[in-house]
Amino acid sequence: MLSKNIAEEVLLCAMSGGADFVEIYAEVTRNNRLRMLDGKIESATDELISGVGIRAFLGTRTVFASTSDTTREGLIKCARAVAAATDEAKKIACVRLSERLFPNVHPARVVPTSVDAVERASLLRAGCTAAKEYDSAITQVSGVLLGVDHSILVANTEGLYTTDRHVRTRMAISSVASEGGVNQSGFDGPGAGMGLEFFDTVSPESIGREASRSALVNLRADYCPAGNMTVAIENGFGGVIFHEACGHSLEATSVSVGASQMCGKLGQKIANEKVTAIDDGTIPGAWGSVNIDDEGTPTQKNVLIENGILKSYMIDRLGSRRMGLPMTGNARRESYEYEATSRMTNTYLADGPDKNEDIIASMEYGLYCRKMGGGSVNPLTGDFNFSVAEGYIVRGGRIAEAVRGASLVGNGGDILERIDMVGQNLERAQGMCGSSSGSVPTDVGQPLIRVSSITVGGR
Amino acid sequence: MQFEELKNVLVAAAKRAGIDEYEIYYQAEENVSAETLKREISSFSSGVSGGICFRCIVDGKQGYASSELMTQDAMEELVLRARSNAECIDSEDAPYIFEGSEHYGTPQLAPPALLDAGCIRKTALAVMSHTYAASELVGDGTQCGAVSNVRTTHLFNSKGLSLSSTVGMSGAYSSAIVRKGDEAAEAFEFSKENGEEALSALSERAVTRALSKLGGREIDTGKYNVLFDGRVFRDFLSVFSPVFSAKNAQQGLSLLRGKEGEVIAADCVTLIDDPMREGNPMQAAFDGEGVATQKRAVIDGGVLTTLLYDLTTARRAGCASTGNGKKGKYSSPVAISPYNLSLAPGEYSREAQTEVLGDGILITEAKGFHAGADAVTGDFSIESAGFRVLDGKLAYPVKSFTVAGNFFELLKSIESLGDTVHWGIPAVTAFGSPDVLVRGMSVAGK
Repeated sequence: MLSKNIAEEVLLCAMSGGADFVEIYAEVTRNNRLRMLDGKIESATDELISGVGIRAFLGTRTVFASTSDTTREGLIKCARAVAAATDEAKKIACVRLSERLFPNVHPARVVPTSVDAVERASLLRAGCTAAKEYDSAITQVSGVLLGVDHSILVANTEGLYTTDRHVRTRMAISSVASEGGVNQSGFDGPGAGMGLEFFDTVSPESIGREASRSALVNLRADYCPAGNMTVAIENGFGGVIFHEACGHSLEATSVSVGASQMCGKLGQKIANEKVTAIDDGTIPGAWGSVNIDDEGTPTQKNVLIENGILKSYMIDRLGSRRMGLPMTGNARRESYEYEATSRMTNTYLADGPDKNEDIIASMEYGLYCRKMGGGSVNPLTGDFNFSVAEGYIVRGGRIAEAVRGASLVGNGGDILERIDMVGQNLERAQGMCGSSSGSVPTDVGQPLIRVSSITVGGR
Repeated sequence: MQFEELKNVLVAAAKRAGIDEYEIYYQAEENVSAETLKREISSFSSGVSGGICFRCIVDGKQGYASSELMTQDAMEELVLRARSNAECIDSEDAPYIFEGSEHYGTPQLAPPALLDAGCIRKTALAVMSHTYAASELVGDGTQCGAVSNVRTTHLFNSKGLSLSSTVGMSGAYSSAIVRKGDEAAEAFEFSKENGEEALSALSERAVTRALSKLGGREIDTGKYNVLFDGRVFRDFLSVFSPVFSAKNAQQGLSLLRGKEGEVIAADCVTLIDDPMREGNPMQAAFDGEGVATQKRAVIDGGVLTTLLYDLTTARRAGCASTGNGKKGKYSSPVAISPYNLSLAPGEYSREAQTEVLGDGILITEAKGFHAGADAVTGDFSIESAGFRVLDGKLAYPVKSFTVAGNFFELLKSIESLGDTVHWGIPAVTAFGSPDVLVRGMSVAGK
């Protein structure tokens, strides 16, 4: 991608403006994407992304420049733009890089971007066909098969020169069920840090059937009543509740500038003692895993909250400088065009002490959220909202009729205290998380949990 | 390699590969931005990026491939990748390469220049000092900044169509955080003007809005009359704009399928898409397929006059493309979306509408549209904040409630519209709306 000699020359040039640290991030990514609609492959695209981002630090100030011109001239021009913006001329003699290798704990076998489009299309067709054939009320099925082969190089003036390669595969299917002028949709979209061998572990057909099952449940559901309720949230994508309600507020991006409600709370009790939350970028083959983060720091398993006590934030290099705390391997970026910042990898609530059946049995009246949709949060106030993709009313300790159109609205600080039962069926699910450094793949996860009281939006 | 050179390489490579129907779409962009934190420039960034997309039609099937690597080898490979992608297509759509429109509009604005680094820094610092000066409650975490970008597009195809455009935008923003006791609130404002007066007004607006959110109370669950601030209602237009796509309609993903010519909204509703809107520097004379753009009413006096079409959906429906086949990024496939979509204003001032509202809620903030709104069904349930209105006057701020309903029903129940259209940040796709009064919305609070 970028030889050691060129990297040294570019770093030296970028340092000439007086920065105290400079890093280069180079990337070559192949993305390909098949879209199927109504049983037909509708589009096939593939992208080659190639470019370099150079970032300089002066204390806690940063200067960043990026370019898709990766010729030597293009890189030097980019480095000069960095040096020109760091206006404290100071000469340094040389930068010496040595290559470091980190173990690959996420080996992929079949690189999806190298496989013929016709062959990939047969996988997607299998999933979409299973979705369509699930029930005669399924009127529309759309599916996407995504393959990513992402190679990065990180070099910096501390002497680091290293590379990593990350392969990802994901299939997402949406089914629409219709009856009497009403449309309802269902979705399933599993993925992994694996090649096409991922489909040996999860069959395309099972993805399609799950999307259609959920659409049918919603089609036959009535609107969810609104109000304050006790809510049980199922495992897997239910973990989006923690991701949104708390995860973003633990990223150095907001904590280090005083824009998070979690500022200054290390060591304090911020959640019910049944809550233990972890961010772990090392889970083999997981969707949100990487060997090294986008600043070249190896990923690690970070216990964020242990038995209700705040133990750690997620910290990138800039956050580390601002906060005086060590980096945690959480620096991530969508591409070379973004500056890396602290982001989640695979974030989940750990299994707790309660039996799952006891959780439902404990609810006289409430909402059971079998599947969650997406959501968002304001890290400053902790206010969040997210949609319930498949929900049921619970009456007298039993799951009763399905309801649709519900959303959960609350505050991260409050809800952590209100998670008063934590079950034992931890599972993770995949998503794309958007923030200031772009869209990155992350896993969310949890076992079944109970929230004693939360606002349910419905009508 | 420059565009002309790339084009020649691709044309030759296509010929060698036996491809005679193709389009070359090239985009180059430069951007520069600065952001402040704690009263100094905390980050400065600049970028140069560009990419080329090759789209070909082989045996009636369409394949795309794109590259940011612009070497001779990469261009040769690009053609082969696109051809191989075409092989797996089995859609019955009959894509074709466009010969060109008779007439293309001329953007009223001269091609913009990228602001220099010094100007960007100066602007960011000015917004910051105005923002801090606006109130002593403005505190840490407040971020201000300035941005500038310029984008050049070239489209060339095998029918000999050759088009290009340069658009760009510069602006400044203030994301003000105010604190009082344990409570914090924030507000974001953007301005494309960078004169001292405009920057001061921008900062003032951000701080005033942030301050107005302090002391928000919860509200009881129930049915309320609602006045949507135009800044909120434009987000509804944005999230539900896919319902106007002919592609979604043809594929059964929009409930507006077959509704052209029918009443779908209240009489007072006129919805306009204006590619050359004055005030948006990102004006577009042609779309991602080379079709000339046009101003049109999508809804006129409550009647759906047209959906938005690209070439393929228009051919299928037996009409002409409306010039809405856009490319989000040079590498993306053509997708239908509006340019500057807005509700036409009504005649009521904010005060007059508040008074007519009587007892209800003025909603000034709504979040989480990507999760709480579904364009396929029209259903939404959106986290909101605003002000309680009692006796026709703003009483106190309210927060942490959701407003729920269905977009199609909402369009029909609009009672009146405000006299000022509030536009979002100018961009290739932008939305605007006046204040919108609707009665009997479901609100879930405490």
